[in-house]
Amino acid sequence: MRELAYYEAKFEALNEIMTGDERVHLINGTFLSLSPHRHVFQNLQKKFSARMFAPPISELGFCGLATGAAMAGLRPIVDLSTGSFIYEAWPQVANEAANAYSMSGGQTRVPVVFHLFHGLRGGGAAQHSGSPQAMLWNVPGLEIVIPSSPRDVKGLLKTAVASDNPTIFVDHTRLLDVRGDVPENDKPIPFGVADVKRSGSDVTVIATSYTVQVALQAAAKLAKEGIEVEIVDPRTLVPFDLATILSSVEKTHRVVIADETHQSCGVAAEIAARIAESGFDRLKSPIRRVSTLDVPVPYSPGLEAHIGPSEARIMDAVRAALA
Amino acid sequence: MASKKNNSKEVIALLRRMWLIRAFEEKVSALYAERQIVGLLHLGIGQEAVAVGALSLLRDDDLVYGGHRSHGHAIAKGADINKLMAEIAGRATGYCGGKGGSMHIVAKECGFITATGVVGGTIPLALGAAFAAKERKKRQLAVVFFGDGAGQSGPFHESLNIASLWQLPVIFVCENNGYAEFTPLSAHTKIERLAQHAKTYAIPADTVDGNDLFAVREVMSQAVDQCRAGKGPAFVECLTQRMRGHYEGDPAKYRELSQLAEWKKKDPIARVARVLKNQKALTDKELAAMESEAQALAEKAAAFSLSSPWPAEIEVDSQVYAAAS
Amino acid sequence: MFVIRHFEENLVALHDRGVFGGHYHLYVGQEATGVPALACLRADDYLFTTHRNHGHLLARGVEPKKLFAEILGRVDGLNKGKGGSFHSVAPSLGFLHSSGVVAGIIPLSTGTAYASKAQKNGRLTVCLFGDGSLEEGAAPEAFNIASLLKLPLLFLCENNGKYGTGRAVAAAQSSSMAAYPLTDLPKAYKIPAQQIDGIDAGLVHATISEAVEKIRRGEGPQFVEAQTVRYPGSATNWPTVPAPTDTALAWDVSQVPENAREWYRSADPLLVYVRELVEANQAKRDEIAALESQVKSAIAAAVDFAVNSPYPQPEEAERDYFAKSPL
Repeated sequence: MRELAYYEAKFEALNEIMTGDERVHLINGTFLSLSPHRHVFQNLQKKFSARMFAPPISELGFCGLATGAAMAGLRPIVDLSTGSFIYEAWPQVANEAANAYSMSGGQTRVPVVFHLFHGLRGGGAAQHSGSPQAMLWNVPGLEIVIPSSPRDVKGLLKTAVASDNPTIFVDHTRLLDVRGDVPENDKPIPFGVADVKRSGSDVTVIATSYTVQVALQAAAKLAKEGIEVEIVDPRTLVPFDLATILSSVEKTHRVVIADETHQSCGVAAEIAARIAESGFDRLKSPIRRVSTLDVPVPYSPGLEAHIGPSEARIMDAVRAALA
Repeated sequence: MASKKNNSKEVIALLRRMWLIRAFEEKVSALYAERQIVGLLHLGIGQEAVAVGALSLLRDDDLVYGGHRSHGHAIAKGADINKLMAEIAGRATGYCGGKGGSMHIVAKECGFITATGVVGGTIPLALGAAFAAKERKKRQLAVVFFGDGAGQSGPFHESLNIASLWQLPVIFVCENNGYAEFTPLSAHTKIERLAQHAKTYAIPADTVDGNDLFAVREVMSQAVDQCRAGKGPAFVECLTQRMRGHYEGDPAKYRELSQLAEWKKKDPIARVARVLKNQKALTDKELAAMESEAQALAEKAAAFSLSSPWPAEIEVDSQVYAAAS
Repeated sequence: MFVIRHFEENLVALHDRGVFGGHYHLYVGQEATGVPALACLRADDYLFTTHRNHGHLLARGVEPKKLFAEILGRVDGLNKGKGGSFHSVAPSLGFLHSSGVVAGIIPLSTGTAYASKAQKNGRLTVCLFGDGSLEEGAAPEAFNIASLLKLPLLFLCENNGKYGTGRAVAAAQSSSMAAYPLTDLPKAYKIPAQQIDGIDAGLVHATISEAVEKIRRGEGPQFVEAQTVRYPGSATNWPTVPAPTDTALAWDVSQVPENAREWYRSADPLLVYVRELVEANQAKRDEIAALESQVKSAIAAAVDFAVNSPYPQPEEAERDYFAKSPL
C-alpha cells in the first residue's frame, strides 16, 4: 500500500476528476491556501486551464456563478480558500443553492461543491480562522463533507463532485502534509459512512477534520496511561452516520466529542444531542465536548493555542469521562 | 482650508514620517524572517507617500479605516510604533493586547479606528463613521483606504451609492498598486481606473501619482475641503506599487524583476529627498541621518516588542463582550 | 398580454377571497416588455426572473393553471406547491430557478452563461430584474464578471419606478440609487447599454432582437433598461385592481377611478398595443374583444383547476430536498 501526503492524494483526486468529467470546472483558488506545494496546482493548470477560472475578489458573485453553472449542467468546484470568506457569499450558498432543489419541487439540481479551509491555522486571527460548518449544518439542503486523512480526502472529493446536491467540502490547512495510506485504484467513499480511525474499548472520541489527527496523538499518549480510546470520524456531517457512533458507545459507554467549531451550537453540540436522544441508556457518564471556546479567535499564538481543541484538553476530557 | 503648505519644514516632517514607516516595515519584515512574528503579514513598502500624503491633511478627530496593508496608515495617523509593533508581534503590550495582530490594528486614541483582513471590509464601516460624523455636525470626516482588489467587491459599490445618496463626509482612498493578491488588475476587471466607479455614482474623483507626495496632498486637500464643507464624499485614486509580494513569504514570481527595477526608480521617499536636496533644504548627510534615526526608532520598537510579555491565557475570555456602561 | 393581465387580476381576487396567503407581485403594466422580449429567444435559452415572475413565465408559455396552482400551494403547481409565487420554475422552458432575494438571480445568470459558453451550445441567458436590483453589490460583481468573461448574457432591467407622471417623461432619478441614468452602471464595465420605452411593444421587440443577435455573434453581454410607468395597483402594500381590464378601456376610461385614470389612458401597455393594432388596421376592435373574451374563459378555467387541485400531503415537507446520490 503506498503512502501519500494529504495534498498529493487531494490533487490525485482532482486530476482524476478533471480528466474523467469535462463538466467539472475549478473556480477561484488553488485548493492549497498558502501551502508551498504550488507545483501540484500549476501542473493541474497546465492540463486544464480552459476549465479553471480565477475570478475577481467577488465571493458573492462567483459563488452565484458556480451555482448557476451547476444548474445549467456543469459541475463546478469553487475554492473559497479561507473558510471565513464564505460569509461574503452567504446569500448565494444558503439562500439560493441550498434551497433550489427543494423549492423547485425537485426539478432543479445544483451539483456544485464549495471547498474551503476552516479553523485555526497559526496566526490567522479572528477573520481568517472561522469554521463555518456548524452554521452551514443548520441550513437544510447542503451536504457537508469533512475529511481527515489522505485516503478520505481522495475518496470523498470524488463523491462530492458526483453528488447532485450542493456540497460544502470542509478542509484544513494543517492536514495538507499529513501522510497516510492511499490504495491504488481507490473507490469513491460514500457519504453517511463514518470511519473508526482507532479501535479502543474505554472511551469513544468523536472527532472531525484536523482534530482527528490531534485525537490520534492524544490517544497514543493515553495508551501509555492504560486508557484505550476509540476514535470515530464521521467524515460527513450531512448525511450523518449515527449508527457507527452508537455501536461504539455501546462498547465504551463514554463519549468525548472534539471539534474545532465554537462550542455554542457547534458540531459537537449537535452530535451530543443525537447521542443523548438515541443512546442515553448506554452512557455511564455525561457527554463531554472539546470545542473551540466561544471567543473571537485572538491573534497572539499562545492565545490561539489556548482556545482550540488541543491534545491536552482532549486528554483531560477523556480522563474526566472515566472518573 | 486644509493645510497643504509645502514649505521645507513641513516637508521634512513628512519625509521623517515616511522614513519611519519604511524602517518600521523593514524591521517587521526582518522579524518575520526570524519567525519572531507569525501569521499573515502585508507590508506597504513603496506606498508611503499615499499614507503620509493623505493623512497629513486630516484633523486629529477625523476617523481613519484601513485594510490588510495598513501599518503605514496607522503610523501616518500618529500611532505609537512601539505599541504597533508589539501588536504585530502578538504581545500583551500591543494596541489590542495581542488579540488582533497585523491585520486588525486598532489605534483608537489617534483616530485609526480599525484595519481588516477582509478585502473592502472597512468600506461600509467608514460609511457608518461618516454618517455619525454628519450627525455630530463638527465637520469631522472619515477616510477609508483600500486597494484595487476591492473595486470588484459588491459592498464597495453599495457604499459608493449610499455615500453619494446621503452626501456623507467620507473620502475613499484607493491605493491602486496594480495587483490584487497575485493577479494583475487587468485579470480582475476591464476597468483600469477605479475612479471611474466613483464617477458612476456622481462622486467627484481624481486619479493621481501615488508616489508623488505633493500630488497626493494636493488632491487630498481638495477632497478634505469639499467634505468638510458638507458637499458630500470624494474619491482619490493613488497609482502606486508595492515593492514586496502580497504577503511576506510570497515569492512574487508573477512580477518581472525588471518591473521592480522600474518601480524602484519611482521610490516615493527618494523623490521627496531629491526635492529637498534640490531646494538645498537638506544635505546628503542630514538625509542619511534621518534614515538612521528612523531605523533606530524601529529597532527600539522591536526591542520593546520582543521583551514584552505574551498575553496571559486567561485573557482569551477578556473583552469578548463589552460590559454595560 | 391578455393572458398575463387577466391572470394577474384573477390572482388579486383569489388573494382577497383568502384562497392564498403570502405576498405576491403583479406584472401588470409591464406586459409590453416581457412578451415581445421573450419572443426573441430560442426554446433552449435560459431565463432567470425574480419575485415579479408571473408575466415572464406566462409569456414563455407556462400553463396558467399550473402557475395558479403553485401560487395557491397545490400539488399540481409548477413546483408541487413547494415554491409559491416567488420561486415558480419551469425548467423545460428555461426557468431553472427564481429568487425572492433582490438581485439573487444576477450572479446565477452569469453561471448559466458561463456553462453555455463552456459547453459551446449557443444557449443565451436572459436575466430579468428590476431597477432595485442594481442597488445590491451582487449586480456590479456580476457585471464585472460578465464583461471580463464576455458571457452570452442579456441583462434586461425593467425599471417600473415612474409613478403616474405619464409616459413621455423618462424615469426620474431613483431616491435609492446615485447613478443616473441606470445604464451608467453596466457601461462602467464596457457593457453596451441602452434605455428604451418599455411600453412600446414594437420597440422592445426590435431592441431585444438586436441585442440577442449581438450576443449570439459572441459580442459579450448586453444591457437593456426598459422603462414603464408603475401600475397603480402595485403602488400599495398589497396589490389591488383599480379597474378590471377590458378592451373597451382603450377608448374610454371614464369609468376608471380618477386617481388611476391617467395610467389607463396613456401608460397601460396592453391598451396602448390594442390601439396600435386597431390604428394600423391589423385587427378590429371586435376581434380583439372576442380574443379577450376567450382568454377570460381560459383563465377562469385555470382558476377553477387550481382551486380544485389538492394540497400536498404534510409529510411531503420532509421529502425530496436532496437529489438521490449516485452511490
